[in-house]
Amino acid sequence: MIERFNISLFYAVAFAFASPVFASEPAANNAEVMMSNYCYSCHDGDSEKGDIRLDNLADLSLTNRLELLNKVKEQTYLKEMPPKKEKNQPSNEERRQLYAGVSAELDKHDASTLEEKLTYHGYGNYVDHELLFSGKVEAKPYTPARRWLVSPAIFEERVRDVFRLEGRERNINLYGVTNPFVLPERSGIRDFANATLDGGHLLSMLSNAKWIAGKQTFAARNNNADKNKIVYPNPKDKWYPAKTPEAFGLIISKESAPTESEMIAAIRAQFDCVLRREPTEAELKKYLGLTKEGIEVAGNTTGLQQMLVTVLLESEFLYRVEFGEGDPDQDGRQKLSPREASYAISYSLGDRNPDALLTQAAAEGRLETKADYRREVNRLFEDKEYYKGKIDASLEGKHVRSLVMSHPKLARFFRDFFGYPAALRVFKDSPRSDGYYRNPCRSGTQTPGRLISEADRIIGWYLEKDENVFENILTTEQFFVYHDRDAEAGGKIIDEWKVFFEKLKDTNWRTDPEKVYAENEEYIKSQKNINLRSNNRWKVSNELRTYMTFFDEYFGRGITPFTTVPWAHGYTFHHSTFYSLPPTPSIGRYYEVNNKNFKGYDEMNFWDYPVEQPFKIANRKGILTHPAWLVAHSQNTATDPVKRGLWIREKLLAGHVPDVPITVDAQVPEDPPHTLRERLESVTSKKECWKCHERMNPLGNAFEMFDDFGRFRVEESLEHPDNFIAKTTRHNGADLYKTKPVNSTGALNGTGDPALDGEVEDALEMIDRLAKSDRARQSIIRHAFRFYMGRNEMLSDSQTLIDADRAYLESSGSFKAIVVSFLTSDSFMYRKAIH
Amino acid sequence: MTDRRQFLKQSVLSASAMGLTPGLFANASGPNAPKRFIFIHKGNGLLPHTLAPSSLSAQDQEKEKRKEAFEINLADHDLPEWMGALNELKDNMTILQGLSGKMCTTGHHTWQSSLGVYKANQRLSTLKWATVDFELAKLFPSPLEHIELACFPDTGGNGRGNINGIEKGFSARGPQQPNYAFGSPKIAMAELFKSVAEDEGGKIEFELERRMLEFAAGSQSELGKNLRGIEKSKVQNYADSIESIRERNRKLDGMADVIRKHVPQLDDKYFAEDISTIDRQIGHTEILLSALISGMTNVVAFTADELGTTYTGISDLENERVNLHDVGHGKPAGSFKAEEVREKVRSHHMSVLDTIVTRLKSVPEESGTMFDSTMIFYFPDNGETHHSHGTEWPFIVLAGDNVKINTSGKYIRLPKYGEEGHKTLGNWYTTVLNAYGNPIEHYGDFDMGLTKFGIDQAGSIKQFLG
Repeated sequence: MIERFNISLFYAVAFAFASPVFASEPAANNAEVMMSNYCYSCHDGDSEKGDIRLDNLADLSLTNRLELLNKVKEQTYLKEMPPKKEKNQPSNEERRQLYAGVSAELDKHDASTLEEKLTYHGYGNYVDHELLFSGKVEAKPYTPARRWLVSPAIFEERVRDVFRLEGRERNINLYGVTNPFVLPERSGIRDFANATLDGGHLLSMLSNAKWIAGKQTFAARNNNADKNKIVYPNPKDKWYPAKTPEAFGLIISKESAPTESEMIAAIRAQFDCVLRREPTEAELKKYLGLTKEGIEVAGNTTGLQQMLVTVLLESEFLYRVEFGEGDPDQDGRQKLSPREASYAISYSLGDRNPDALLTQAAAEGRLETKADYRREVNRLFEDKEYYKGKIDASLEGKHVRSLVMSHPKLARFFRDFFGYPAALRVFKDSPRSDGYYRNPCRSGTQTPGRLISEADRIIGWYLEKDENVFENILTTEQFFVYHDRDAEAGGKIIDEWKVFFEKLKDTNWRTDPEKVYAENEEYIKSQKNINLRSNNRWKVSNELRTYMTFFDEYFGRGITPFTTVPWAHGYTFHHSTFYSLPPTPSIGRYYEVNNKNFKGYDEMNFWDYPVEQPFKIANRKGILTHPAWLVAHSQNTATDPVKRGLWIREKLLAGHVPDVPITVDAQVPEDPPHTLRERLESVTSKKECWKCHERMNPLGNAFEMFDDFGRFRVEESLEHPDNFIAKTTRHNGADLYKTKPVNSTGALNGTGDPALDGEVEDALEMIDRLAKSDRARQSIIRHAFRFYMGRNEMLSDSQTLIDADRAYLESSGSFKAIVVSFLTSDSFMYRKAIH
Repeated sequence: MTDRRQFLKQSVLSASAMGLTPGLFANASGPNAPKRFIFIHKGNGLLPHTLAPSSLSAQDQEKEKRKEAFEINLADHDLPEWMGALNELKDNMTILQGLSGKMCTTGHHTWQSSLGVYKANQRLSTLKWATVDFELAKLFPSPLEHIELACFPDTGGNGRGNINGIEKGFSARGPQQPNYAFGSPKIAMAELFKSVAEDEGGKIEFELERRMLEFAAGSQSELGKNLRGIEKSKVQNYADSIESIRERNRKLDGMADVIRKHVPQLDDKYFAEDISTIDRQIGHTEILLSALISGMTNVVAFTADELGTTYTGISDLENERVNLHDVGHGKPAGSFKAEEVREKVRSHHMSVLDTIVTRLKSVPEESGTMFDSTMIFYFPDNGETHHSHGTEWPFIVLAGDNVKINTSGKYIRLPKYGEEGHKTLGNWYTTVLNAYGNPIEHYGDFDMGLTKFGIDQAGSIKQFLG
């Protein structure tokens, strides 16, 4: 078996220029001096380290020269060169001059790429962390004026708002709408404001708009006819809004052509439904022309629908527009207009358009100051209903319900940040897990869906408490497993089952359940949580034996079963083993007991279910030891120390690893007697690889205490044909291979705190130290900034980040305090046009 | 008022007499004729043993039984009876056995799995990438890029609300982007040939769409006028996309004379709401041919049926509504055993294939005919049987003389699942894509179950590339 890893070779780039490269003096002179002082020793024609030669820049073609200069600029910016081990290092001022010289040359050709790169996901950490939190940056925060593509969730809410749906009606299935938006599947912030509309979006929107417009006018076109008599174009799509907007209904019902004012009213109504604003005079004029022509060509109804569709195709329906208005301040910044601000606030707290009070505040000039913003944000945090919803409806399936929260968007930041929902994308070979791992399939999201839901509950639990949120999520020993009802409801079920078992355990329920049923019929039928009420005596008798067998396996051994019986329709709880807990019975285990040839079971030790949750699980500490996170950051058939280490480096240490050189496609060798860690080290310990891998492997190796299913282990199964010992005797079970002790020692570096950096015994120790790290806390805040601002931070956002960090500390670790701080910051409130 | 139906009545030909006059084809391609691909898939599995030639030697029969690799020339053998319609096409035919597809959703319904080589289901999030037909369509651009036709299921776990409408199909344009398929010849006709509509309603609809797109393109371009950089592209991209649809429509307008000549000539029964499944297949076949011959598209995906398709119009069972699921479970229909019903269904599919080949052979192109550059794939959407596991995924391929896959005239059984040299659906599509210029290393998901056999699953089937 070959495992593929992208092993980052170091992309060695240094600086050296020959004079003709630079046209702009004196930047060239300064740059040249620095080249000769710091770069030539490694990157001239003699040494050419990393295959980079810079002393012949003037001889290169313009394209090649600019490409190399861009690399030089990036390395200068990141302080990656000269290597830290070199004694001869440039001062900050010298670096600045070199950067300015290279930038000037690139700008001359309009060829600089770094600025754009810094706006992309994955490059946020390029901004110097110490400087960002130093308090020395004086530049005023702002966000570039922009359009921000709506998220998939906001899009759905916007469509519901077109129909003015409220309450339970908002839950309708939008049958004819294909959500044109998809967030990238990755661990990290996914919704950035640099995405653009494209042809794929348009194709979806063309059919979406026709469906929506058709529904908008449906009631009027059918003249409020009896629902049962209407002939639906699609019998499976019978929903339509009860009322067609009056202005549309008027035109549809008219025998003659509508008047100009009637058409204007319809255009205004559609702008209000779709764009939530009045059309401008110019828009009104254009749309009036279109509507008139349409009605002339195709009649009232069809012509009107054409106008409705066209408004729905406006790009504004698909973007959040944030350009600011008013006179720019001395730094060239404009404050968001009150209307823009109302949307920006609302979409930060949920997926819905602003509520009536926020809209009113904007209209009445009460959304201008920080105090105004703070008042509205706090009010909306107090409102437990407006944004209430599921964290992730796509997880739902038979008997699986997504966690509902008053402000699910809070949890969505943590989902993006930790990236555990990506577990859905990692396909596993079920027999390797003894058949317990079920991959997502048609009937549901199966094991990863369950694990993700349970990770969501931890996030929800600590967000609800809103104290030391980061530390708690990182270090909690409390987990939710199978917990489908609260302790009180679960306790009642178990109590009833126990009493039932105690009452009947000494009867002949095994051999003569029919008699036992007859003798206890009234009692049995009175049980709320034991479903034995059928009139089919043979059937209920068998079922009585099934219940009693189940109870006997649990209560008979002094342990508690899970509160849903394993033969329940659609039962999909099979994942306790991924927490390294004992298994629970399979759905078919008790089908056999009524078979006359049944000779008893294989002995199995089942999990003693804790009704009260969360509960402590051994060898686990926080979300990074949750199986959902571990699976999401694993390969199909092995762990992934590189991916796990990279995650820690980027997400908790605000660090970065250079881009993987495109020439690298290294493979971990097959070497049967060795563990994955050993095999990985054999290829990444080479000097050119280690320069990058030293930033990942020591962090990720500590997680080798868990296998790729997230199970705690002290031995690694060496799954290679050469190590084969025996075939499994279980159906769908795992074959037996030789094992080797796991080495989960690692090293933490990069916290900036000597008391925390250093070698660790395993992931649990590393996590404890990370939770104490200022750097880790600030790194999470940087990522939260990206989530709420839809962009990477810039140095000018320094004050915003410092304020958010302070808000967290002063509030004893409230995440909401961070959000309030962000939403009242200059970064959030001000826009600046970038040319 | 003249509507489409009346217009068609004027030039009505019964389906049995249908045929496009070769001389009408005015768009004969230049020196580099586009390659064309037709994917026709069926539900309820394709039983591998039914594809084996009846005249196999005892030795080959034994290999076939044990699913051991072997290869024979079809010219030396008799096709199974149900393939009789293709007897004259053996030189252009490949029967390919032994591919597996366990990385796909298997069982009753498989959604986009058989074309995408991943586990697709009703959740759009399961669509990982564009299906193979769309990948091929990118290589051979055409005004419509791709069309999909379907005899939609109306029952089972995958039923469509309106089998006569435009609904989510079995192809995917890209990640999480389902394609939409035309459910009936009527709707396909109205949508695909609206640019040459003769009836008032069709003309008006086309004119309104034209004006709407013109308005939207202008409006969005205006919005981008004073913007620069990324902010400009946020609206300009959208405006450009609208413009590209207008451009597509302009191209179709430019081809109007050709398209008009190839408007399918179908009589009324093919536009009826209660059209039988068999007639639906015949009608879709005519649409498919017209779209290809007129040059509107080079790639067609066609769902001949799916497990939930309620079959009507089967010969000798004209009055029965045949439930394919029941047939899959061995239940008879009318006086016919399940196996016989399966054979009737497949036989009709073969006649559809014969119609397509015959018609394409009648259209001159360069020094040969349109069929020379065409590949037709006929295969199950779920593998080897009703409750499939994906251990086998049989294909019948019909290919002209200028195609780039070197398998014609052969019955090929590849090494069985788990044996050295075993190949998957992914290997097969990779072969086709590589042959036509997409250098992808491997198309499709891998089968984790195969890793334990030490089989390298990546890449094309080299021996097919000639």
